[in-house]
Formats: sequence, structure tokens, C-alpha cells
Amino acid sequence: MRPFSYTNAKNKEQALQNFTKTSHYLGGGTNLVDLMKEDVERPDQLIEVASLDYKQISKNNEGGYTLGGMLSNSETANHPDIRQNYPLLSMAMLSAATAQIRNMATNAGNLLQRTRCPYFFETSMPCNKREPGSGCGAKDGMNALHAIFGYSEKCIATHPSDMCVALAAMDAKVEVQKTDGSSRTIDFTDFHRLPGNQPEKDNTLEPGELITAIHLDEPKFSDHYYYLKIRERSSYAFALVSVAAGLQIKSGVITKAGLAMGGVAHKPWKFTDVEKYLEGKKPNKVNFKAAAEMAMQDAKPFEGNKYKVEMAKKAIIRALTQAFEREA
Amino acid sequence: MKTIKASGIGNPIDRIEGHLKVTGKAKYASEFPVENMVYAQGVNSTIAKGKITSIDTSEAEKLDGVLAVITYKNAEKLKNYPKDMTNFSLTTVAPVFQDRQVHYYGQYIACVIAETFEQAQYACRLVKVTYEEESPDIHLDKNRGKAYKPGDSADFSRGDMDAGMREADVTLEQTYTTPIEHQQPMELHAAIVNWNDGKVKMYANQQILNQATTSISETFGIPKEDVQIITPYIGGGFGSKLNVYKHITMATMASKMIGRPVQITVTRHQMFTNTGMRQFDEQEMRLGAIKDGSLTALAHHTTSHTAKNLQYFEACGNVSKMLYKTPNNAVTHRLIPLNIQCPSSMRAPGEATGSFALESAIDELAWKLKMDPIDFRIKNDTQVDMGADKPFSSRLLVECLRIGADKFGWENRKMQPGTNKKGNWLIGYGVSAASRRAPYMKTSAKIVLELNEAALNANIKMDATDIGTGTYTIVAQTVSEYLGIPVENVKVEIGDSEFPVTPGSGGSWGAASYCNGARKACENAIAELKKKQNITESEEIEVAELLQQNNLTTFEAEGTAEPSEEYKKHSVFSFGANFTEVWVDKDTGMYRIKRMVNVGSAGKILNPKTAYGQIIGGLTMGAGMVIAERTQVEPNYGNFITRTLADYHVPVNLDLANIDVVFLPEEDKIANEMGVKGIGELGITSVAASIANAIFNATGKRMRDLPITPEKLIEAGLEPGVA
Repeated sequence: MRPFSYTNAKNKEQALQNFTKTSHYLGGGTNLVDLMKEDVERPDQLIEVASLDYKQISKNNEGGYTLGGMLSNSETANHPDIRQNYPLLSMAMLSAATAQIRNMATNAGNLLQRTRCPYFFETSMPCNKREPGSGCGAKDGMNALHAIFGYSEKCIATHPSDMCVALAAMDAKVEVQKTDGSSRTIDFTDFHRLPGNQPEKDNTLEPGELITAIHLDEPKFSDHYYYLKIRERSSYAFALVSVAAGLQIKSGVITKAGLAMGGVAHKPWKFTDVEKYLEGKKPNKVNFKAAAEMAMQDAKPFEGNKYKVEMAKKAIIRALTQAFEREA
Repeated sequence: MKTIKASGIGNPIDRIEGHLKVTGKAKYASEFPVENMVYAQGVNSTIAKGKITSIDTSEAEKLDGVLAVITYKNAEKLKNYPKDMTNFSLTTVAPVFQDRQVHYYGQYIACVIAETFEQAQYACRLVKVTYEEESPDIHLDKNRGKAYKPGDSADFSRGDMDAGMREADVTLEQTYTTPIEHQQPMELHAAIVNWNDGKVKMYANQQILNQATTSISETFGIPKEDVQIITPYIGGGFGSKLNVYKHITMATMASKMIGRPVQITVTRHQMFTNTGMRQFDEQEMRLGAIKDGSLTALAHHTTSHTAKNLQYFEACGNVSKMLYKTPNNAVTHRLIPLNIQCPSSMRAPGEATGSFALESAIDELAWKLKMDPIDFRIKNDTQVDMGADKPFSSRLLVECLRIGADKFGWENRKMQPGTNKKGNWLIGYGVSAASRRAPYMKTSAKIVLELNEAALNANIKMDATDIGTGTYTIVAQTVSEYLGIPVENVKVEIGDSEFPVTPGSGGSWGAASYCNGARKACENAIAELKKKQNITESEEIEVAELLQQNNLTTFEAEGTAEPSEEYKKHSVFSFGANFTEVWVDKDTGMYRIKRMVNVGSAGKILNPKTAYGQIIGGLTMGAGMVIAERTQVEPNYGNFITRTLADYHVPVNLDLANIDVVFLPEEDKIANEMGVKGIGELGITSVAASIANAIFNATGKRMRDLPITPEKLIEAGLEPGVA
């Protein structure tokens, strides 16, 4: 590891004021510290924010709940209010990593996880995300774990989070503190970005902005939900593909649908068109199959990840079916 | 008549060193407190082939705490590899920094020595290297023309293979592949080395001390007696700690240069590039059988890769020489030199991978013959090792299969794939036969008896190692048994190259060799004490009593056990059978191993508890071969892109469910006087095939390339003949 200074922020102001362009906020450290050991991240200063007082789960004005940014993934996923009102979120979060990592990882930090692309992790390989201008090794190399949607010539990496897939399906919002003391709220689907010409930027945060909360509107998909994660081993593996599916069903008809995928793009991939398509339809095999076909119609896989298209279709159908068949 | 002792052999006592381990008191190689110690860390090449054109160490040397940087420019001259391709053996030298050539990605090109571990790590990042890069040979397919036969032992044939195939009613020709895998024991390779006045003493986690000291002494051109290795505990090896690797050389060279003790810990990343691996194997199988199920022909041809300057191959085809009665048989092994580090032994080298191909092919042929795969195997059982033309010392394979079938509930298996369903799950049963050579080698031990009041204590010393397998415990039980004293009164001292010579831990020979060595030392002590008092050998007398009659409070004896003539006239193997039930998701390609039954016949079981641990460890590693273990080589650069345990997936608890292990009661007195056979590798052997066969039974898909991942299962088609 390279030498760095460490500041334990006692409050929000200290965190924001100490921030410089070579600083990095430190939450649970489950991703950042690994990347520093690998020499991928090289901050001069770490500002610990994990102990800041953003650790509550509280009711908000939209009739929903607000999750503190510094609360651990475990505490969030296992919170009775979250289990009861947002079981899709809970299920997605509990499929991630291991119990030990979930105990350390914060909600804010989960949103800021970096890609698991092997070219990003290995400093001797080309990677535009790690070192802009060095090229993309994955495009003509090993790309089994890479994107089938929304990639660019510069980068074909995927976002690794499970939590974020559920948040995308649920239309969450992210609240951030700016260094000037003001705050702003970002729609979840606008929080992460596509690589375009700047793959080094994973999201739309400005330098120094600190995530303090995630807002969820009124309880959603609490009766019909499923998070399906296809992976190489039963635990402690990132998704090959994952699906967050939520349905609201009234009198045998879908009144609202939430559908997003992980492991397919640079950001959690929300299928807004497919959600609209499903609304007003009956929850049955034919419609679920049509939804899966529609979702994958623009997929453009690489040599190594062709399997993802077929796998994703099957995963969507299965997730929607499981969500529907779940006993209320 | 002898009474059975509570702590003697055959009893499932707890590990005598268990408490030390779980409380952190057992000291591993990097944990010894050594004064004035400094830290070394290796720098790895970032190309797979070429020549170093410059190394700039100035920035690294300027750092606080950095004492030196060693490169090819200032390294001492060591004994190098021979010019021609040479076998990578346990005594092969480990030269480093002898020239500017780079042969594989991750080869050590420099070594930083600093006051602290952190300083050394940071300084490594500041070493600047330029290369004259050459196009590396990475792809097996593009280099097939360079395949060669690695020595006389690579090929074997019996009868007339083509005639056997012509005679057959049903034939099978299929190719199976297994990927590069890494041993990755929990404990990283590490050493603390002190070069003092031409002699070197090190704490180093080597599995076989007597061979390691030879390698080190030859590398540095010093007498073998001047090299001492101490390693009381080893946190797993799986073969990766058999050979001497170059971090040992770097630390030794550094200690000599700096004049202080040097610690080196290989990083997890370097455990992929610098401490060996299992090679990729492509195995072509040809089998023929007549209608009644008798095999008429069996061929097993393996193509693999090796390093550019060192040669190693795991003999995948050996299992096909001995497991079944086959009149016509052909086995070959070919190697292709690539710019990838030299492969090495990984748990059950040859057997673990060879049995995947053979036992998958046997299952395929049984399916074609419409025979139950157990009946097919029993039909072709043999009590003679046709590959060696010797009888087996004992072989209870048929019993393993029958008893396992009963315990597993094999009668509930549906022959037709895809017919056993539950919700979204397809359920399948699979079986495979396991065999693993059970070697036994010359082993010495020294025993010191001490009478304290009326209690007899014993201290046994040997250069054995405990790689987490239970050596301390079984040796203590042996001494307890042969001296007739409680285990609490036995002190076991191992892991020091200055103790009497043993073959070390590896190749499933440890337990049988160590315990017979210990036995012999005990027997010699008793015989010598009896002789002094003119007591006949057959007379039963307590050892404490013997010492008293001799007016002695202490007594020392040594003993050396070695294989008998009978042993040499037989083939000595352990046998087993694996049964697996898998549940495969019909759509997603994910699957769960629901239960496994393993039946083993492995001679006398010294301690059922540690033996059980060995087998479930083997089964888990076998499951790992199927579930996800694979090291992937980047096609353009030649590095391993699976480079941490986050992307090199070993099984987790949830991947494995109920495991039932049965040992058949057996004492193979031809194997050795104690009737003991090794089990360190039996557990991993053929597990992969039993799972793959169960997946076929569940889905009708034949998965011939490991690992069997969800994407491969989704893409695979149904086997012809499956509805």
C-alpha cells in the first residue's frame, strides 16, 4: 500500500471541509481498502465517515422510509421495517457477499462499489476506467463477466452491486451533501452512469459529495417480489446476471411492475419499457416470456458473454414467476 | 492378551495440538519471534516473455527503511537449471535473478528488503522496469506442433488397442478437459531465513524437509548439513509446499547480503504466479465393450503444458492402467512448453483429473450399454494391477460400491435422465470409483523414554510435518499403542530437518510411513531393554517395569521402518466409491450438491476423526473442481486473470450439504506392518466424475469440461438418446 493520511471525521462538516481532490471517503472499507492494497486506488487522504450519524431507518414524508447512508448492509437488510415493507431490497442485499462483509459495508458505500472487471484490478493491464487512455483489455480479451447493454468503445465493465439492482427496480432516490453545505437528491436511475467517453466516472457525484441517505417512497412490491442471482457458487460470488422483480397485482392484473438487472451493464439496468408493458397485463407465462424477449431485444453481447442473453431471459421469466407465485 | 487402549490407534481422539491451533499458540513459519529481522518482498514481471532492458531501483532505494533491492545486476551467482528441459522434482534448484530473461508472467524480477513489511511492499511498487517484449506462447491450440513425449514413463501399452475396439459392440470416443487449478492453502508460503557464517537456518513451511534441504544446499552450493528447516505447523499445502520455490532463495540471498534474518511472505496474488499449480489437461478417451459389459479396450491420451525450462506432468492416464480389467490398453502423455509457470503436484496429481475422465467415460459407456454403472464397474473388477502386472495387496472396490449403493439408496435412481423432478429442480444420482496409490517409504524416528515416579513418558522425534492432517495425533497414538502408555504421556516433536529422516508429507505416504517409523522406534526400545535383561521377545512386560529392571530412568532408541519384499511384489492402493445427489435448476443452470456418500477402504484407520476430516476435505476439493475452480489465462498477455480468492472460487458451505463417510474395516499387512494406507488424496479422487455423472442423470447433459458452471449448463445440449 502507498502511504496516506487518515482523518476520522467527527461530523459531516469535518468530513466535507477536509476533502481535497485526492481524498477518499472511507465507509466500511470492504472494497476501497482492497483496491488500495492492489494499488488501483491511490488516495492521499482517507476520511472515515462510517461513524457519522447517518445510521437510522426512519419514516419519511413520502409515506416511505429513509435509510441512513452509514448504516451497515446487514442492519438495513435485517431491519423489521425493511423486511416487511421492502422485502425485495432485503432479499437482494442478503444475496450479496458474505455476512462478514455485509456487517462492515455501508449503504452509501454499496452504491460506490467499483467494477469487478479483472483488467481494472490488475495494474499491469490496460483499463480506461483505472487509467484513462490506456485502453480496454476486456473488449478483445476475457469478457465473460461483462456488459451486454450500454457499454462504449472505452469500457465494457459492469456494476457489481445487488442492492442497487433492487433500488433501481424500486425507484429510490439518493440524498447527497455537497461540500458547500447544501444538499441535493438524485433519482436512483440517474445516480450511476454509462461509461461513454469517461469510464473513470462510475456515477454522477461531484467531487466531495457525500451520500447520507437513500429515500424509498411508499412500500412497494411487499407481496410479490423476487431477487434472482445466478452465480458460480452459492455464496460470496458476484452475479453472472441477477434480476430484481416486483409486481403489484390487483384482481388478477398487474398494476405496477419493477424490473431491473445486475451484471449486464455499467449501471443497474432498469427496464422501464418492460415495466410499462407488464402493467395492465395478466401475470402469466406468456406475458412473462414476452417481457423477457422485449428486455433482451437490444442486447449486444461479446464473444465471451453470449450466454448472458439466454441466461437473462430465463432469469427474468423465473424471477417474475417466483414473484407472482409467492404467497402473499 | 492386549487390551484396547483408550488413546491407542483406531480411536477417534481429538487432535493433541488442536487447542494450540485454535488459541493461536501454534507457531507457523512467519510467526517466530526473531530479533533484528527485516522483510523481503518479491517484484513480479508484467510480461510473459522477453528480456529486461532496464531496472531502475533508485526511487525504491530512497524510501525510508529500504535496505537493498536485489535484481539480476547484483544477485549472487547460483546453481542454475540445466540448459535442456529438466524435470521439476522435489530437489530441483530454485535459482532467481540469474539473467535478464522473462519466461512467464509474474516471474520474480527483483526483491526489496526493508525494515518493515509495509515499507517493502510500497518499495516494490517503485521499482521501474522496461522490457524488450517478445510474443509469448500462451495458447495450447496454437502450439500443438511443439508437443513432445516427456520421458519413457509417459507411455504405456498392453495388448492391441485397435483390435480391442474392433471387437467391441459399443464404443466411446470423447475428450474431457480440466482447467489450471491452484492449491491455495490457507497459510501463505512464508519463511524466516537466517544466513550465519555460511550456514542457513530457516523457519519455512515446506512439506518435505529432507528434499527441501537438498534443493537449498544445491542452489547455494553449500553442504546439505548446513541447511536447517524448522516448521512445526503448516497451514495446508495440497502439494504447493512440496517443492522449494524462489521466495526461499530470495530470502536466503537477502539474509546473506544484509547479514540479518529475513522474513518473506508470499502474497495471495503471488500464490497464483509463483508457487505452482495444477496444469490444464486435455484427455482423449477411447473405450470399447462387448454386450455383456466386458471392456475390450481402453485408451487414455493426455495433452498438457509445461514451462519453457522445467518439465512436470501429472500422469492422468495411470488410473486407466490399473482400475479395470482391460485386455487392451494404451496410455500416453504429451507436453507443450508454454510461457506459463511450471505446473506442480496438486492433491492427487493425475488421479484427481484422470479419474474425472475415466469415470465419466465409464458412466457414458454404461449408459450406451444400458447397464447400471455400478454393475458395469463390478463386471470389470480385477484383483490384479494389469498396468504393473502385480496383484493388489488388497482391493475392496466392489465392496465399496455395494455398501455405498446401499447406504446412498442407489435403488431409487431413475436410469432415464430428466425424470426425477421436484418443482424447478431436476434430481440426479451419480457414482464413481476411486483409487489412489498408497505408498510407504523408509522412515526413521528416535524415541526417548523417561520414567517419572512410576509413570512412563515418551518423546518421539522425526523430521515429519503436519500439514493440517493430524500427524501429531496419529504419531502420538502409535507411540501410545506400542508403549502401552496414555497419549497424554507422549510428546511428539516434528518439523525439524535435524530430526531423523522421514519422507515428509505428500503423495498420501505420510501417515503410513510416520507411524511405522514411530512403531519401529518403540519396538526397538523395548527389544533393547529386554535384551539387556535377557528377557525373551515374546514375554509381556510393561515398559516402565523394563526400565526399572534395568535401573534406568531414561532410555533412547532409534528405529527405521521400510517396505518389505512382499510390499514390492504387490500393487498397494486405497480404494473407494463416491455417490452424489445433485439438484439442478431446470432453467438457470445453478445446482446444489444435496448429499454425498463416500466409502473408502484404506487399510487400518489410525484415527477415524482425523481421517474423516481428510475425506470431507477431499470431497470438498473435488466438488470445487466441478463447481467453479479454474484459473483463467489472459489470451493476449498471458497472466492469470483469476488472481484472488474473490474470483478463484472455491466451494462455500452452502455448496455442500450432507456428507457421509464410511471406512470399511481393513488391515492390509502387505502394505506395511501396521496395515495402514494413506487417505490424504483418496477423498478427492473421482469426486468430480460422480458429480458430473449425477448432473447427466438429472439433466441428460454430458458435461466434459470442468468446471461445470451455470453458463455451460445453459448452453449444453441433451445427449443423444435422452428424451
